[in-house]
Amino acid sequence: MSRADQIAPTALGRLYRGQTAIDFYGRRRIGMYVAIVTLLVTVGSLFGQGISLGLDFEGGQAWDVPAGADFGVEEAEQVLSDNGVDVGGARIQLRESDSRSVIAVQIQVVDEATAASISQGFADASSATVDELNFEFTSSSWGADITRSAVRALVIFLIIVAIFISIRFEWRMAVSAIVAMANDVLFAVGVYSLFQFEITPATVIAFLTILGYSLYDTIVVFDRVQENEGKYASVRMPYPDIVNISMNQVLMRSINTSFSSLLPVVSLLLVGSGFLGAVSLREFALALLVGMISGIYSSIFIAAPLLAKLRSTTGRTSRRDLLTGDDLRAAVIGAGVSGRLASESPDARVAGSRKNERAENASLADEDAGSVRTRSTTDAIHQPAERILSHPPRPRKKKKRS
Amino acid sequence: MKRKLWLSLIATTLIIIVAFVGNLATSNTPKLGLDLQGGASVILEPAEDASGEDLTIVRDLIREELERTGIAEPNVRVQGSSIVVELPGVRDQQEALAAVDVSGIVELRPVVAFSACQDDPLLGGDPSSQPPTTLGVEVPQTVPELLPVDDSLDEVDPATDVPATEAVDPVQDEATPEDTVGVRRNRTVPSDEPVTSDEPVTSDEPVTSDDPVTTEVGDPDLDAPVDEIAPDFTETTFPNGNSLLLDREGQPLCVGPSQGTGEVFERQSAVVDNQLGFSVVVGLRSGEGEATWNNLASQCFNGAPTCPRQDQSGNGQLAIVLDDVIQSAPQVNAPSFSDTVSITGRFSQGEAEDLANILNRGAFPVEMVAQESETISPAAGQESLRASIIAGLIGVAIVLAFLVAYYRWIALVILGGMTIWSLTVFSVAAFVSGATNYSLSLAGVTGIIVAVGVTVDSYIVFFERMKDEIRNGRTLKNAAPRSFTMTWRTIWSADLISVIGAAILFWLSVGSVRGFALFLGITTLCDLFVCYFFTRPAVLLLARSKFMIGKRAFGLEVAQ
Repeated sequence: MSRADQIAPTALGRLYRGQTAIDFYGRRRIGMYVAIVTLLVTVGSLFGQGISLGLDFEGGQAWDVPAGADFGVEEAEQVLSDNGVDVGGARIQLRESDSRSVIAVQIQVVDEATAASISQGFADASSATVDELNFEFTSSSWGADITRSAVRALVIFLIIVAIFISIRFEWRMAVSAIVAMANDVLFAVGVYSLFQFEITPATVIAFLTILGYSLYDTIVVFDRVQENEGKYASVRMPYPDIVNISMNQVLMRSINTSFSSLLPVVSLLLVGSGFLGAVSLREFALALLVGMISGIYSSIFIAAPLLAKLRSTTGRTSRRDLLTGDDLRAAVIGAGVSGRLASESPDARVAGSRKNERAENASLADEDAGSVRTRSTTDAIHQPAERILSHPPRPRKKKKRS
Repeated sequence: MKRKLWLSLIATTLIIIVAFVGNLATSNTPKLGLDLQGGASVILEPAEDASGEDLTIVRDLIREELERTGIAEPNVRVQGSSIVVELPGVRDQQEALAAVDVSGIVELRPVVAFSACQDDPLLGGDPSSQPPTTLGVEVPQTVPELLPVDDSLDEVDPATDVPATEAVDPVQDEATPEDTVGVRRNRTVPSDEPVTSDEPVTSDEPVTSDDPVTTEVGDPDLDAPVDEIAPDFTETTFPNGNSLLLDREGQPLCVGPSQGTGEVFERQSAVVDNQLGFSVVVGLRSGEGEATWNNLASQCFNGAPTCPRQDQSGNGQLAIVLDDVIQSAPQVNAPSFSDTVSITGRFSQGEAEDLANILNRGAFPVEMVAQESETISPAAGQESLRASIIAGLIGVAIVLAFLVAYYRWIALVILGGMTIWSLTVFSVAAFVSGATNYSLSLAGVTGIIVAVGVTVDSYIVFFERMKDEIRNGRTLKNAAPRSFTMTWRTIWSADLISVIGAAILFWLSVGSVRGFALFLGITTLCDLFVCYFFTRPAVLLLARSKFMIGKRAFGLEVAQ
């Protein structure tokens, strides 16, 4: 069996062992462009063709058709699809009381000719006359006040989440997480608008689920970033490096989690609405799928680079190039952290500790780090480095510069 | 330490299994929503002609009222010229009719006598000897007394200039606790606002209610739909229009004919004012509403025969009646009011809120009469439920198979944890939906399927961390507790956001969004619970045991 801390030869092996060295920060523009395209397409589509609201939002037309042995829910569906009405957006129920038994059909408003044709279809199918069908308009059940209260709740939720993240982490993480979340919801809405899927109350729920999922996913990543920030507190690691290291460290977790979250939804889409034919599941599952993929994507390609960007421009400026390639890999798997490796060889340890004790200036420390990286990195990555794990090195006390 | 872990593991498992079996044994399962299980439907017709706008207002009022009384996620819509109310999970048609009986109209009736109406055969006893039961008002003479609130209002509204002539109320008896009707007369708004009600409130209309008194004596629960007939009172309406009605404490009052309805109040204007104790301030609808109210108020203030003074020092009292139950009978302290009316008294906050709700709800523009109730079949139906459950289970099974393949032996914990988690969710959902009437709709079922992903994530975060630690040279035994400490921090931070979100959405929104928030909160809290009380001890114990030695976990061979 190969040593666990050797670098795996294949990309998949490296991924499995958490030895990847992907420069997420360096590719931050991809995330930005995708986000901008998402925004433009969504806004364009919303203005261009709007969004298709379902029965519960817009109201529609309703028929009460006498039910009988030869007329039930399935026959009603048949009549609707014969007239080109989407059964998925219709609501067909059997209503029963002591005195009567009817099939209540509600669909979105259709033009008069279609409505008349449907009426005739129902009359024929149920062997009643058209006059016996109770044909009426029906209002929305999701009133404006529901929307209002939901929007108000959402706004307050976002404010409190922002405050919570600012306290638990920091405000830049709050900004990044909310931007990423907004991107996901926009993306899902954009897909709905672009393909003119019908918005139902279930869709609204799906959007809310996406929102929660996106925040959750981002927070898990940020927690690792914050943890690494503490570990590297003493070695002046540039923030984009910390983000890159953290992203690579949680990459396997992100992939596993994404897989585990998406599988049931894909199954819902394929098995539930595909094979088992539960139409009402289709669009709901689709919204979830789209939103969750977007949520996974955005926490890696939007939230994290945005956080790095926010931090790197406000914090201390870095005086060297960012870690890439094998240097990054070494940092990801915990060995060869700049400033730390020096202490592994006796000579360097003396020199390094003296330097640190004197705490001269930043450029010296960076030179030290630079010289470390010119060494053979293969040495570095075989160093056992348990200390870099859950035991952060004790931060050295900062001395005031004289 | 080890004993504690075993204790936690075993206790959690036992409790959850017992709760689950208990739920199964009592067939206490989560309620299913309208789309999955159907329910009952009631059609409400307006008693007189109503405009579409009125019906829309009634629709919103009814839904609000249903939600407030604990019927979750009703589907209320205007269809044609009637309103269709669909209630999830209600099977009994009588129950459905009772539940939607929320459109009762608030009536304003002057109090004629304290105890019994004249020639009342039923109640000869002196009811005033009965102690008040629920209201916090200590009422020496059983009836809340109406006092003017002029000086207290000065504090509330410093801008108020109360002209001496109007504010005069000699009955400023501080010793008497009371419900008081006072005035805020700071603003005299010209009543140029059009009255939206097209139906003038006729104040001399005789009491049309021919149904007997409907309250159960002493029933403090305002919200309960009152339509059962109390057997003790067979006929309490008198030829002269007076009726013997009970107040909320079950004490009878004789009230005169209705002289106005809740429509005199501005819609949704009643608020609880909590300065100087709790009082209710309600706006008068300018124009006819105000005129009707002032007509009544002046009768009572002047002690007219229709609204006589009940003792030497008091003024006449005006009863606010809902569904033939007197909600409050304050003394009227001013002959005329403009703009707002303030009802003060020793209300508790809850009582004040109840009264405010009643005044708000009394503002139904039209009276709605329930037609017959029908049962309705599920809209999405068993098929959808079955499909989503089958599909969800297949998805979860694949996920678990993947995790077992990936994490090998340690995935035993995932299997156990997910089982415990689903049992917990089931039990909690059954309990909560039984207690609150929130039902599981199709969206809720799929939401739970999505929650599987987030729950599995707790394990993945934990195990990935352990994998890192082990790969870098720790033993399994050493890595487990360290990893859990770090993982727990991550998990609670991320989960807490979901819980906060769920709480806010539940608190502030209505309808299906609320149901979603409830189940989101449940699944997330269950995740936290299982993670700490099951996963933690299970992994720590497994890591210490000899069981894992030589077995593969995390794709690594566990060495000792």
